Amino acid sequence: MKKLRRYLVMGLVALLLVTVMLPFASYATTPYVTYTVNGYGQIRQTQTAYLAYATITKFGEEVSLSAPSDICIASDGHMYIADTGNKRIVEGTLDGELIKVVGEGVLQEPKGVYVLDNGDIYVADRSAEKVFIFNQDGELINEYGKPDSPLYGDEMKFMPIKLVVNDAGIMFVICESNTNGIVEISPTEGGMFLGYFGTNFATTDIMTIIYRAILTDAQRARMISNTPATPTNLAIDSKGLIYTVTLGNKSDTLKRLNIAGTNMIKGQGDTYADAPAAVVAGNHDNVYVADQQGYIFEYNSDGEMLFTFGGPNDDSQRVGLSKMVSGIAIDTEDRIYVLDSDLAQVQIYEPTEFTELMHHALYLYSKGRYTEAKEPLAQVLQMNSMFDYANKAMGRSYFQEENFNQAMYYARLAKDYDGYSDAFWELRNVWLKDNVMTAIILCVLLYVAYKVIHAIDQRNHFLNPIRRTYRRMKKNTFFNNLAYAGYYIRKPADGAYGISAEGHANWLASTFILVVFTIEYIVNKYTCGFLMKTVMEGRYEIASDIGIIVVVMVALTVCTYLVSTINEGEGTVKKIYTFFCYSLLPYVILTPVQYALSHILSQNEIFLTNMLQIVIYAWIVVIAIVGLKEVNNFTAKETVKVIFLTAFTALILALLIFIIYVLWAQLFDFIVAIVGEGVYRLGF
Amino acid sequence: MVSKKHKRVKILAVILVIVLIAAIISGVFIYLGSQPERIVSGNHVHSQPKPATKGVVDAKNDYVQVAESDNYILYYYEPRFSIKLENKQTGAILESTVSDEKNDGKSNADWTGAMQSGITLGLIEKTTKTSDKLNLNTAKNTITTWYTDNGIYAEVTFTDYGITLGVEVSLEGDQLVVRVPDESIQEENENVWIYTLCVFQYFGYTYLDEQDGYMLIPDGNGALIYLDDKEGRYASGFTTQIYGTDVGITDLVPGSTLWDDYDTVVDSNTVLAPVFGMAHTEDQQAYLAVVESGDERCTIEAQPNGARVDYNRCFARFLERDVYSQPLSNSATASTTPTVELERLRSDLTVRYLLLSGDEADYMGMAKAYRNYLLDNGLISRQNLSYNTRVDVLGSEREAFLMGTTAVPMTTVEQLRDIYASLRREGVTNVLSVYRGWQDGGLYDTPIAKYKADSSIGGTSDLTKAILEEAEQGNTIYLYNDALSVNTKTNSSTYNVMKKLNKRTFEKDVHGQVYDSFYYLMPKNAGEGLAELIASMKQDNIKNMALDGITNNLFSYSFKGNYYSRTETMDMFVDSVEETSNGMNMILETPNQYLWKYASAMLDMPLDSSDYLYVDEEVPFLSLVLKGIVPTYSDYVNFEANKTENFLKMVESGMYPSFYVTAEDSSKLIYTNSNNLYSLEIENYRATIAQYDRELRALAELVGTSTISDHEILDNGLVKVTYENGVRIYVNYTNSSLTGDGVTVDAMSYKVGE
Repeated sequence: MKKLRRYLVMGLVALLLVTVMLPFASYATTPYVTYTVNGYGQIRQTQTAYLAYATITKFGEEVSLSAPSDICIASDGHMYIADTGNKRIVEGTLDGELIKVVGEGVLQEPKGVYVLDNGDIYVADRSAEKVFIFNQDGELINEYGKPDSPLYGDEMKFMPIKLVVNDAGIMFVICESNTNGIVEISPTEGGMFLGYFGTNFATTDIMTIIYRAILTDAQRARMISNTPATPTNLAIDSKGLIYTVTLGNKSDTLKRLNIAGTNMIKGQGDTYADAPAAVVAGNHDNVYVADQQGYIFEYNSDGEMLFTFGGPNDDSQRVGLSKMVSGIAIDTEDRIYVLDSDLAQVQIYEPTEFTELMHHALYLYSKGRYTEAKEPLAQVLQMNSMFDYANKAMGRSYFQEENFNQAMYYARLAKDYDGYSDAFWELRNVWLKDNVMTAIILCVLLYVAYKVIHAIDQRNHFLNPIRRTYRRMKKNTFFNNLAYAGYYIRKPADGAYGISAEGHANWLASTFILVVFTIEYIVNKYTCGFLMKTVMEGRYEIASDIGIIVVVMVALTVCTYLVSTINEGEGTVKKIYTFFCYSLLPYVILTPVQYALSHILSQNEIFLTNMLQIVIYAWIVVIAIVGLKEVNNFTAKETVKVIFLTAFTALILALLIFIIYVLWAQLFDFIVAIVGEGVYRLGF
Repeated sequence: MVSKKHKRVKILAVILVIVLIAAIISGVFIYLGSQPERIVSGNHVHSQPKPATKGVVDAKNDYVQVAESDNYILYYYEPRFSIKLENKQTGAILESTVSDEKNDGKSNADWTGAMQSGITLGLIEKTTKTSDKLNLNTAKNTITTWYTDNGIYAEVTFTDYGITLGVEVSLEGDQLVVRVPDESIQEENENVWIYTLCVFQYFGYTYLDEQDGYMLIPDGNGALIYLDDKEGRYASGFTTQIYGTDVGITDLVPGSTLWDDYDTVVDSNTVLAPVFGMAHTEDQQAYLAVVESGDERCTIEAQPNGARVDYNRCFARFLERDVYSQPLSNSATASTTPTVELERLRSDLTVRYLLLSGDEADYMGMAKAYRNYLLDNGLISRQNLSYNTRVDVLGSEREAFLMGTTAVPMTTVEQLRDIYASLRREGVTNVLSVYRGWQDGGLYDTPIAKYKADSSIGGTSDLTKAILEEAEQGNTIYLYNDALSVNTKTNSSTYNVMKKLNKRTFEKDVHGQVYDSFYYLMPKNAGEGLAELIASMKQDNIKNMALDGITNNLFSYSFKGNYYSRTETMDMFVDSVEETSNGMNMILETPNQYLWKYASAMLDMPLDSSDYLYVDEEVPFLSLVLKGIVPTYSDYVNFEANKTENFLKMVESGMYPSFYVTAEDSSKLIYTNSNNLYSLEIENYRATIAQYDRELRALAELVGTSTISDHEILDNGLVKVTYENGVRIYVNYTNSSLTGDGVTVDAMSYKVGE
């Protein structure tokens, strides 16, 4: 009982058919949720960004679609659909009125359509292996077949499936199974082949490399060939930038290509569609990607995800869910038109108040009206204070207004490190300008004070009590050992000998260093400068931090001791513990410096702290190894052996703990099951 | 003397015996004489009634009149077991089978047979689980009819299948009652059972667009499917089980997810009211059908033309038996076998058609009829309707910490009182709040065994003090209690949790950060738990509770080898709410109809529908019914993207607004199960709350306790709601200003008519 699908623009057309007016058929609970991504890259739910607005299943009275595969909204405000199954192009208004049908009798398998501002309709016909051009009246005015340039490749077929055309009339054509890239054809000389554009690159992962190395030729031949993926679809924006989406390679999923074919998006790939079907450039430097399954994504010009919504139709027949998306287009009012080839319909979504505010802010911002942009942004943030993209834009707006304090505040909320750094740099600059004289005076004063004190001390030795105290303290074992730790990190070989043979091994001073290390580690981790911070704001896991340090130290000491002992090392637990703790001293000494730096450096100079960090770790490793060697009185060879053995032991220990844990869990489950069964049988 | 005396006594005794015998005999006669009526009137007596004499009414050839009321005549046509209802004033006809004249001849024998049969059955074969469909035209049958005062009682036997059922049809004034008594259903064949059962599937049908009008479906707040020519666009229409899916039978299948992690598709609304309606606006004839019994195991269907056949029809399909999948072993990957329920639904199956004509033959008329029906039958009662803005607060949540969890206090009792104080400064008084996550262990530590507040929000004594003191200020704090869910992590014992019919413990997956899944309590245990908590609350003189869980879930379950149906679950939930609501102030979370009478207010009621493709118009049907009777509160305004429109919908429906706030920043929830709550801070909402409170309170005061008497959409799209007391509210959802009745309403705005 499959009747011809007839058209319907919900609300609008029902209005014509039915006597009762229904102005709000589109207002309803959306059948999908909308997600955004926060500054940390976490996916978060947010207000519905787009609502299902209407569905077009038919143009005019008669024209319905069959397996349509592309949609284009031209500057004349009409939509053009590649009605593949019916071998034609359908031109209609945005509310489903039929304008005309183009290319009947000419087209064999129109898969892609693009319309220029002058009304010329470009059609990519896969079976005809041609690009056809029709004028505004639907007359065929030109056609281009396979380029005869040898550069195109003799063996390569020309099966155009999608295309866009820039202002100069240059065609960018995606051809099926042509992995060289997008075919760029100039309209001059009957279609001059300009070359390949926006080529994707094959990626090779480490497993493939290993496989290739070990497999036989025959096996290698059977591996899936590692050719770059052909882009799935493309779009062009008002500036002539080309967007491509590619199925397969995650990080290449969305590309924004300049005229030279360079990708301007530094994509992470985390928030890209799994199976992208189509892409379209929006009105606010944004870009929309539709996934085959019906998920719609909106990204900003940097490829950061603003929203994702929609989803697959679960046969419950709810408006706004899709079956097989094949095209996407956008009109001047930011309504999204999603072409579904299975349902043979165009689903229209309209932005909500929330999204309109966001777009309005983007528009104002792009026009340099930063102060005005803050108003809609504030409204967006009032609706969802965790919408980090708005926080970021707010920060950037304040920055442009040179309100750097606010800029820094919002950048920090948005986890916008660049924005934060810029604002911080400016603030620091101001501070330096204001305080440079004070600082110089302060330095001079300090120097003078030092000189004066020194001079007085020379004369009447009034600092002697302090010196005596210092000497007395040095006699105290604890302080003596602390001082010895300082000696150890400078001369690890001698120092380790001292630990081993001269009784410098001790629990108290070592533990003291470990405690200081732990405190510094925690303070640094949670309160260092924002740009250096590795944990989320407001997150404190101090107990587990301490736990990890304790466990690692105990495991390291015990394992090293066990391994050393069987390798005839001379170290005792106490000695090994001591030198491990002493080895942490570089961290204890240098981290405060790093900590201070993290608060005064901007993104540009942050490499200094990174370098410092490398120095700290390298130092620790070197003295720990030397210490291990000397404390146990090993040769270099033995030391290497012991290090490997220790690592291995630690691994075994971890495995053992894991096995015991799993067994216990099994036992526990078993007991629970028995008790449960008993309870169930007895029926309490 | 003695003998004389004896004689007199003897005579007296004989007379007495005779009188006694006469009395008994006449009693028996009276009893026997009343038999047919007794069956008809619904008493469960099984003796064979006396067949009606042939010739009085000849039902073999055409429709014959069987009953008449003030406004309607009921006709009956036995071979197809069909009825026809005629409006005496207008002549409008509602027919229950597709007449020969209207048969378009496009359907095959099975479909035509079903279209022309007053009864259609779904059958299931016990061992092979194959299902089949039966109708009177394709299956051998006998029909015996008795004529009653106001209709008929017929016994229909499908002879080849050994299935017999009795149907009673009676015209009671402006109501038509169709009832299948439970006892009348007999299944003699041990292998073939009744699966589904429909009576008068096509009652009030129309062909394509022959008649203007619509079908009302109980989706969300209410929705209409027009009786226009759908041109084959929809392969099927609305088919939804009343009171939601039975999780004891149907496995919850997770839909596809974005990046394998994020669920994007939102569930459609649950059917809260067991009603459906059909309006022929041209003929000015309509009905609202209420599924009066058997509603707990019934699916409402509204099929527009093009869905298999070109007739618009809506009906109730009772599910006598269901099929569940039984895993063959305990392994998670075990294969399953479909298994048929042994026991069928034990309930009468009654659909009451409330007939409407003239001006009443529209959705407003349906709403009024339903409202009166509910009031007359004591299914709702008038509650205190005073306006409150609802400001819910989240108390304590949990996040993972080391091996266990730690509290994330979002709003302490102290902070809650600060919120009230700050709202009071904005002019917002008389706030109604549901305190969520007040209990020891935080929001998801369920079930709540006793009245003990989480220490992170200030402890029990603080909470008690706040509730009692704020009550004096006019702010009512309700304690949120999900009386059904059992957190699988905080409760390891499973002896009291609900097991599905396949004897596997039911677990609801929530994909949370901290807690993954929840069990459901068995109805009895849920009731006991609720009673216990309430007893402990009453000790501290706390009487406000917002009840969730048992208010909107209904399931079958198994326990110790016995099976319990939704009917039993429903009865137990009703009993426990009835017992516990005594002396309590209970507000219910999206309650199903059978609990409406216990609700002093209803929370999170839908403002919209589920956005089905085939729905042509949304109408605030439930609001039209409930406004002026029970206060209803909307879903949270926080998460609405179209705030203005949402606000206007509240104006239109008379629903009160709801907000969800916290004192702390909602980003603190990021590692908790509530991490989908992205916007809660009171700072962001104080002004909005004040504005909503001001405007909606003013409206509520104008309206007072009156019900809605009319709701219409004027030709230009302006929505006009008229209240009993004459107040008219005009709502404009369009982007240009509109004028209606001489009242001009700005774009996306509303106005009160003079």
